[in-house]
Amino acid sequence: MKCTRCKQKAVVALPSHNAGFCASCFLLYFQNQMEKAIKKQKMFSPRHKILVALSGGKDSLALALQLKLLGYNLECLHLDLDISDTSKQVKTIAQRFCERFELKLHIIELKKENLSIPEVKKKLSRPICSACGQIKRYYFNYFAKQNNFDVLATGHTLDDEVSRLFANTLRWDITYLQQQSPILEQDQEFVRKVKPLYRLTEFETAVFCFLHNIQYSTIPCPYSKGASFTFYKRLLDELEYNQPGRKFNFYETFLKQKSQLFPPSTSKNKINFCSICGYPTLQDICGVCRIKKMLSKTS
Amino acid sequence: MKVIVEPENHILELFKIKSVKALLNRLQLYPFQALVIRDNQLLTPDEKLFPNDTVIIRKVVSRG
Ligand code: SF4
Ligand SMILES: [Zn+2]
Ligand SMILES: [Zn+2]
Repeated sequence: MKCTRCKQKAVVALPSHNAGFCASCFLLYFQNQMEKAIKKQKMFSPRHKILVALSGGKDSLALALQLKLLGYNLECLHLDLDISDTSKQVKTIAQRFCERFELKLHIIELKKENLSIPEVKKKLSRPICSACGQIKRYYFNYFAKQNNFDVLATGHTLDDEVSRLFANTLRWDITYLQQQSPILEQDQEFVRKVKPLYRLTEFETAVFCFLHNIQYSTIPCPYSKGASFTFYKRLLDELEYNQPGRKFNFYETFLKQKSQLFPPSTSKNKINFCSICGYPTLQDICGVCRIKKMLSKTS
Repeated sequence: MKVIVEPENHILELFKIKSVKALLNRLQLYPFQALVIRDNQLLTPDEKLFPNDTVIIRKVVSRG
């Protein structure tokens, strides 16, 4: 197979784009897709201060490096969840990565916040992933606001976005469909969230990491069940294989039609501020402070 | 041919597989579900494979 751009030997085939690329043309393609995402959705510009949520997986590492290569002003934040050896290993990966590419890395240790995830799991009756997700969102937003970042960038890829869209559509969940977007414009209290990888797939971030010789974490979280989300991913992969480009098309068309099909709701909930930490919430005390209170009562 | 499947690091010995495409089929993977690596080079599905090759299959799906 030959590179579509320069006719040298290709190392990656991308049937979804009807193309094949050599290493350097692939990296150019990757950069172009990310730049397109940033410009098309008006995510940010070089004068903005960007916080990258760095998990240590391939997607967030690829995101951080490509933003740096494009000359954006970014720093990274890693949350240490304190889950057995897994958290130690991913933290080391994040640290080594940031050293190598000269990126500023901040680390928040949940243990120091009295929110060690295994402890939360022991004491909370609801599923751990919902609490863990809430805690992560809280700290990323809190940190970004406290330190004057303009945007929070996450490593969600086209695959993540499409499986979420598929799940939302199967349930015809109008609220979630209204909200789903590669850019979440927020009220003053929340930082703007963006997903610059939404035009790129997991396969492509894996290729990107391979070509840059980036070591990333592949250890699954011991609490991850995979369940329906992964099942949808499998179904969608089969669809993509039989109809290359289908995922991209499904998501792009959704974005085009969204404002017409699912206009944003005009009713706004009244936002309070948590009486303990000041975080915006619909109740008196925010969700994370409630978890903290629960833990201190039962310990 | 020796095949190392990552991230599990399973090692397989497979015979009579002549192309990347055939290897992926045998492992029940679609081409975009794994990187196929030989001598630190990525291979496209049309590439030929040989009995003395050592090939890494690096599955891409992110978990957790
Ligand atoms: S899988 Fe693990 S890291 Fe992910 S949300 Fe659940 S507990 Fe948190
Ligand atoms: Zn080329
Ligand atoms: Zn609070």
